[in-house]
Amino acid sequence: MRAVIAEDLALLRDGLTRLLRDNDIEVVDAVSDGDALVHAVVRERPDIAIVDIRMPPTFRDEGLRAALELRERVPETAILIFSQYVEGTYARELLADGRGGVGYLLKDRVMDVDSFVEAVRRVADGGTALDPEVVAHFVGRTNRLAALTPRETEVLALMAEGRSNAGIADVLVLTVGAVEKHVASILQKLQLPPSDETHRRVLAVLAYLDSTL
Amino acid sequence: MSSVLTVTLFRRTVRASAWAVLLIDLFLLIVWAASGAGSFWPKWVWLASGLVIASAWWKAKPNGAFAQHLGQSAILGLFLIGVWAASGFGTFWPVYPIAVIALLSGLRAVGRRERSEARVEEVTRTRSGAVEAAETQLRRIERDLHDGAQARLVALGMNIGLAEQQLTKDPEKAQEHLAEARAAATAALQELRDLARGIHPPILADRGLDAAIHALALHASVPVSVDVELVDRPPVAIETAAYFVASEGLANALKHAHASRIDIDVHERETALVVRVLDDGRGGASELNGGLHGLRQRVEALDGSLRIASPEGGPTIIEAVLPCAP
Repeated sequence: MRAVIAEDLALLRDGLTRLLRDNDIEVVDAVSDGDALVHAVVRERPDIAIVDIRMPPTFRDEGLRAALELRERVPETAILIFSQYVEGTYARELLADGRGGVGYLLKDRVMDVDSFVEAVRRVADGGTALDPEVVAHFVGRTNRLAALTPRETEVLALMAEGRSNAGIADVLVLTVGAVEKHVASILQKLQLPPSDETHRRVLAVLAYLDSTL
Repeated sequence: MSSVLTVTLFRRTVRASAWAVLLIDLFLLIVWAASGAGSFWPKWVWLASGLVIASAWWKAKPNGAFAQHLGQSAILGLFLIGVWAASGFGTFWPVYPIAVIALLSGLRAVGRRERSEARVEEVTRTRSGAVEAAETQLRRIERDLHDGAQARLVALGMNIGLAEQQLTKDPEKAQEHLAEARAAATAALQELRDLARGIHPPILADRGLDAAIHALALHASVPVSVDVELVDRPPVAIETAAYFVASEGLANALKHAHASRIDIDVHERETALVVRVLDDGRGGASELNGGLHGLRQRVEALDGSLRIASPEGGPTIIEAVLPCAP
């Protein structure tokens, strides 16, 4: 797997590069601003770009703008936003096209190296990885979820993070069968057609959440 | 507190004196009656005591200076009319002194309006300066946190995570990651400390201006003489502003002036605190330098003034006058 990193703080750029290399992900370029990111991705066509939001020269949402541009210009490259803060609006903009291969994680998540690497791989494969904090932004502000039971809300949040049924069953200490029932119930209550693929369900759910914000 | 107490005491005294004067007036009435009730002379004493009581009563009211002046003028006018009436009416002579009093009050009102307009302008300007300075400061703190301690903590966690991953596979590498994690923790602490000091230095809160400015001078690469002469500790806002005048002035001299000697002098002048930073460097200090501009906003927000004299070739004097009176 090939990755491009965009991060302006050398400390984190180097650390991340080493972490990915240690885990057999090739870092083909590591840049420190939005323009350089766009150039690197257009040139290298990596599987995934890991992008910090705030970068020079304006130190605002540079990275996110570059990421949105790349979604259009190089659709085959997945985008993982990697930031120190969660901004619901940014996640919504990123998810707006309803395609997979996007993620938004807090930098804190890098501390659990294995699940971070797993999230990188999942996003690169066209899945999603949304930080629980990001999901909380969506779920907490959506009143049409009132019909869900507390358990179903939990399941939905984990789905949104990009977990499989087996993963959700693990976290909630349930059987996979029980999780499947919850999922079916959620999809029914939200009037979404059932589907087999985890990430498609997630995107459907997120699209639904997005439309209600 | 103390001024409220003074007013209360004053009011009580006024009330007691008023009763005493009324008793005297009554007594004089009895004397007049007993002495055969001739020409009604107690009226003059009554008029005079009325003037005194009314004037003291108005003075005891918590009025502004202008309202006080107007009230006293009106009381004086009424007294004059009273004198005219008591002296058997006749030509209405009080019109002349009353016209003079009215003219004086009018002049005073015009001056007052001009002064208050100028003050409103000044307050508006310095307030927006203060808001802007606070905003800039907050942005800088947020940026420092984001790029400093927060990033170090992420690196720290990442190194611990990597060490955990390598622990069984490659213990030596795990040890390397742990050493880096420790370095990141040390650096994060250092950055948090520096940031906290930039917001409000602990030594300033603990020991006051003298110790805090001496501590600043200790870290300077150029000889700095510090002279702080204060009787009492100034109010917190004044003290903090004075500290930042000293620290920004010092930083400015060290960074730009190529000075060989710097003097910092803090003393009281009447009811104000004066902070002066003088260096023998090459001069040319400008407020376009963000630090000095921020300093002016900070000082003016406290109704103080900042003077920067820095001709090409030096020397540079930065002087802030910070009023301490309530």
